[in-house]
Amino acid sequence: MKHEARFVLGILAALLVLVQGFGNDALGQKRKPVRPRGGITQRSIDYSRFSHSTKQHQESCKSCHSAPTPNWQKVRAFPDVADYPDHDSCVRCHRPQFFKGAQPPICSVCHTKVSPRHDARYLFPNPRRPEQFKIEFPHDKHQDVIASWRIKSRLPGSFGSSVVKSAHAVTEDKSYNNCTICHGPATKAVAPPAGGWMDSFVPPVDAFKSAPEKHDACFNCHWKTEQPVRDNCAGCHKLAAVRYATVTTPVRISLKFSHEGGGEKKNHIAECTTCHINITKAASLRGLRPDVPITGCTECHNKEGLRQDLSKELAALDQNRTFACVYCHTSNVGKLDPPASHYLVAERPAIKPRGQER
Amino acid sequence: MTAITLKYSRLALLLTFGLTLLSSFAVFSVGQTQVSPALARGVVRLRVRVKLDDSNKRAVGLARKRFFLIKGSLEENKDLVQSIEQRPLVSRDCYYRGIGASEPFISWLKQNDCESVYCREIETKNVEGPGAIPEFQQAIAAGEKEFGSRELARKWLAVNLRDDLRSGFYQRQQLDLHSLLKQAEERTGRKVISVMTDRNGTAYFTDIEPGVYVISNLIPAEVGERATLWNCEVNVNAGDLASEKPFLISNPANKEKNVKCVAVEKPLPACPPSKASR
Repeated sequence: MKHEARFVLGILAALLVLVQGFGNDALGQKRKPVRPRGGITQRSIDYSRFSHSTKQHQESCKSCHSAPTPNWQKVRAFPDVADYPDHDSCVRCHRPQFFKGAQPPICSVCHTKVSPRHDARYLFPNPRRPEQFKIEFPHDKHQDVIASWRIKSRLPGSFGSSVVKSAHAVTEDKSYNNCTICHGPATKAVAPPAGGWMDSFVPPVDAFKSAPEKHDACFNCHWKTEQPVRDNCAGCHKLAAVRYATVTTPVRISLKFSHEGGGEKKNHIAECTTCHINITKAASLRGLRPDVPITGCTECHNKEGLRQDLSKELAALDQNRTFACVYCHTSNVGKLDPPASHYLVAERPAIKPRGQER
Repeated sequence: MTAITLKYSRLALLLTFGLTLLSSFAVFSVGQTQVSPALARGVVRLRVRVKLDDSNKRAVGLARKRFFLIKGSLEENKDLVQSIEQRPLVSRDCYYRGIGASEPFISWLKQNDCESVYCREIETKNVEGPGAIPEFQQAIAAGEKEFGSRELARKWLAVNLRDDLRSGFYQRQQLDLHSLLKQAEERTGRKVISVMTDRNGTAYFTDIEPGVYVISNLIPAEVGERATLWNCEVNVNAGDLASEKPFLISNPANKEKNVKCVAVEKPLPACPPSKASR
């Protein structure tokens, strides 16, 4: 019996070690980088793929890029970096590759056709290539700069107060720069996600806001003295760890919300920070989420005597656990358990998550 | 044979028991980490309402003002509060007069209560005709020469304005702010977070570790003809939600109920003689 007990204890101890190891892994799952055996190996270089992360390509940006490029007046309405660097930028290091064979692969980085008789180039920047840089944009600084300074008393000859009474209606008679100088209503439809729109719900074009796509949104201030200026590319463009594709379909939890909606009175047109409560503290775009608390919606959509959109759906869910909330959400989101905040705002007791009703 | 079977049955039983114990331990240890950390954090819904003077019947939300959340009580931040209060204030008007800005330029800023040229669009009427502002006219002439387009020169007018006119006031404030933030962060060992009020004077500090904090605007806001400074102590509890009652702060003229903290106000300092008038 003693032997049995020792044997069992031994097995249990070994399993305990294993379980602990598993537990730690589960808490902080990190895949260790795979290192090639035997150190760095010489491999053939694909010269048709230009990378800014190559050490030799990390000199100051203006050593290759001109700002503006000589072609800006032909292709843009504003001075811009609108073309690839000159041949000299490549040849000064890549002479052997530049003159290798009839169709050197290195030429295809910029040129649509590799031939000495064709000088046509891809669009710059090339929208078909994955991005190599992330944008550094401090929302907080920009909001500070455009913010109004003070409110004035309504003395004779003064211009009144810079504040309004209602949460949503824009009744200001003064025009301030605010988020809309960069984020106006979208004017082109967003691409559908892979597999199509959920529930075949196609959001209207103006459901989303636009974001700056060109340099004019920056250069109008950051041209020559206000840093980062036009040739200080690294002030805004930070090399990404890996190349990535530009997001063409915005991810939104409440897909049915429209920024230009809110009925006849267009009540959704509000100051951005009224709902996007975290944006003014954002010093970077990294980790930025346009998180809107449910209270931003329920101020109108769950108000006694006005509307009970949230409470109605929570009540329906109480009656039928397969009910999907579709007033704001598409069914992929609506069939999930509502978060605690929804019950709290609706002043209803939270029901047990699906599958744990008993 | 029976003895051997019995021995193995006992072994199997013991192992099964042990494994059950272990698996429940494993589930517990992994499951523990899934307790939402959000529940252990809090939110401050800040509301700033001010009454300008007795001629105004109602208090109004203080829009577009930045507030900072500093770890610790007022007592713990005594030295910082002292630094904030003792810092000399240069009003907007005094700054622009001091650098020799023209009266039309100062008046253009005042029209929309702006602190800098980035606050509102510079319209054609501001650069052409009788209402033209001299600084804007100079900048547009330089821009037209540079870009070959008067319209582009107007849209990009700020790039050809003198540095001190364009962003000098902002930069000056930033210097003061950075110095105070550094002092706050050195004392607390924590990063100071900040938010800006919306048009109703509301702002949210989210994802806050529970504890005592000071909410301050660090640099006095110009409210009417007064410099208004808040240093308010707030207690953040775990699980506080943005839907709860706001933390209302105000100025002495506002006698609303539920005001949790009142600002200290001082008259705006008088401006020294401007460059232009010397």
